[in-house]
Amino acid sequence: MDLGYNKHNKYHRLVRSILITIVSLLTFVLIWWLIYYVANDPAIPSPIATFVALWELLEEGDPMTGRSLWSYVQASLTKFLSGFLLAMIVAVPIGLILGNFKLIREFTTPWIEVLRPIAPIAWAPIFILLFGYVRGATMVVFIGIVFPILTNIIFGVSKIDKVWIDASKTLGATNFQIFSKVLIPATIPYLMNGIKIGLGIGWMCIVAAELYATPLGGLGYYVANMITFAKFPEAFAGIIVIAILGLLTTGVAEYVSKRVSKRMGMDA
Amino acid sequence: MSEKIKIEGQKWGQERVRADRTDELYKDIPEGETLMSIKDLRVVYITDDSETVAVDNFSLDVKKGELISIVGPSGCGKTTILRCIAGLLQPTTGDITIGDNKCTSPGSDRGMVFQDFALFPWRTVKQNVEFGMEIAGVPKEERQERAMKYIKAVGLEKFADSRIHELSGGMKQRVGIARALVMHPAVILMDEPFGALDAQTRNIMQEQLTKIIVHSERTIIFVTHSVDEALYLSDRVVVLTKRPSTIYKVIEVPWERPRDRASPEFTALRKKILEYLEEQNVME
Repeated sequence: MDLGYNKHNKYHRLVRSILITIVSLLTFVLIWWLIYYVANDPAIPSPIATFVALWELLEEGDPMTGRSLWSYVQASLTKFLSGFLLAMIVAVPIGLILGNFKLIREFTTPWIEVLRPIAPIAWAPIFILLFGYVRGATMVVFIGIVFPILTNIIFGVSKIDKVWIDASKTLGATNFQIFSKVLIPATIPYLMNGIKIGLGIGWMCIVAAELYATPLGGLGYYVANMITFAKFPEAFAGIIVIAILGLLTTGVAEYVSKRVSKRMGMDA
Repeated sequence: MSEKIKIEGQKWGQERVRADRTDELYKDIPEGETLMSIKDLRVVYITDDSETVAVDNFSLDVKKGELISIVGPSGCGKTTILRCIAGLLQPTTGDITIGDNKCTSPGSDRGMVFQDFALFPWRTVKQNVEFGMEIAGVPKEERQERAMKYIKAVGLEKFADSRIHELSGGMKQRVGIARALVMHPAVILMDEPFGALDAQTRNIMQEQLTKIIVHSERTIIFVTHSVDEALYLSDRVVVLTKRPSTIYKVIEVPWERPRDRASPEFTALRKKILEYLEEQNVME
């Protein structure tokens, strides 16, 4: 079948990928509808009921309290961003120190390896008890993001080409200058990789942590609340919003990290 | 996890030299007089169960303004010697001095050009050339002006704002050379700088290097495994023995530059040096 498609034409390639995405999403909705039809259970609402609920959520906010969708999104995003910033502030310097000093790294590796595999959400009850609902959820995000960033920076430091350090020494660089002018720029692509992985995990954490939360909560709280009152289409609408925001954050991270890698002339 | 990247403290030696234009420190030494002197260099590599003597009894006086090549059988300590001079490797015993100053740590008085270029991929060509001057605290305007001068000298003015991965191998090494030259170090060390390039690019680079150094009073120590390259570029050629490396012969190359590789003298001298190298392999 000749559609006049030319893979060397940028516009053709764009149209092609948009078409594939649309068909893919339509198929997804079709499968969803089939599951709804076969399962015949109120816990699985139909796509149409869900989109209607989503529309109402956008227009009128929470059907029970009247809170706007935006205020839920804001509540989630605030926690997400503060958890992310906190993780950066902690992980970047510690990662650089652990990457550079073998003794400290060897000493702390058991701690990291014990703490790292724990699912972040397992901390949620403890953190909420310790820090309250809002800060507790923020800390769960922090735990989810901090390890990927940390391990990626340590890995990045270990990947630094020794010859760059030799070259800077023969150009007279002091240890501090080697640190600031070679080590830090050379680890940035790895940092970006850590951020990319961390954002995905962080977004999962925030929603999960909010399932515990009070009316101050964000989208996770909204979904949990709707399910408690058996408003399944409304719950699904909330899940769709969560998915879209998750896609946006990882998309932004992906784009930025690609730009950084290109600019730095290196891949992590 | 790597153990290599630890930034070494300056356990041995004085403060790292990070000044610009260190060649001016030695302007009182006339051309042709000894600028750098290497005495009784000995390098022993110690592993768990063995000791390897890589370099032994290596003494050499480098004259100001000369290009001296070090050639030797492969696997001998050519690069080891150069790394000792650069201060990147601490010799087991031996002294290296420039003028009256002992070299015991790396510094900007010994600029180095590396075989695998060692350029910083996150910097542009110009920013790479500026790196040493940044370290030395040269003001921004002067830094950029001087960087451009050397980028022009190596013929890369069109690529001043390019990133390193956009350049070919030969272009990369020209950046490496400009980065070393722009600092005006007392001595320039070149560790098989054209070793990673194809034969044709190599010849072009040799010609260009000749043009750059011919009137510039640069003192260069050049490590290579190519006798042809050594003869084309050097004032003197040092032939090393097999491990443990020491000096086997020092050959003066008196000809004017640029040199003709096809001339009978050139071919004859090349043959002689190749014979010296051959003797190294037989001697065992």
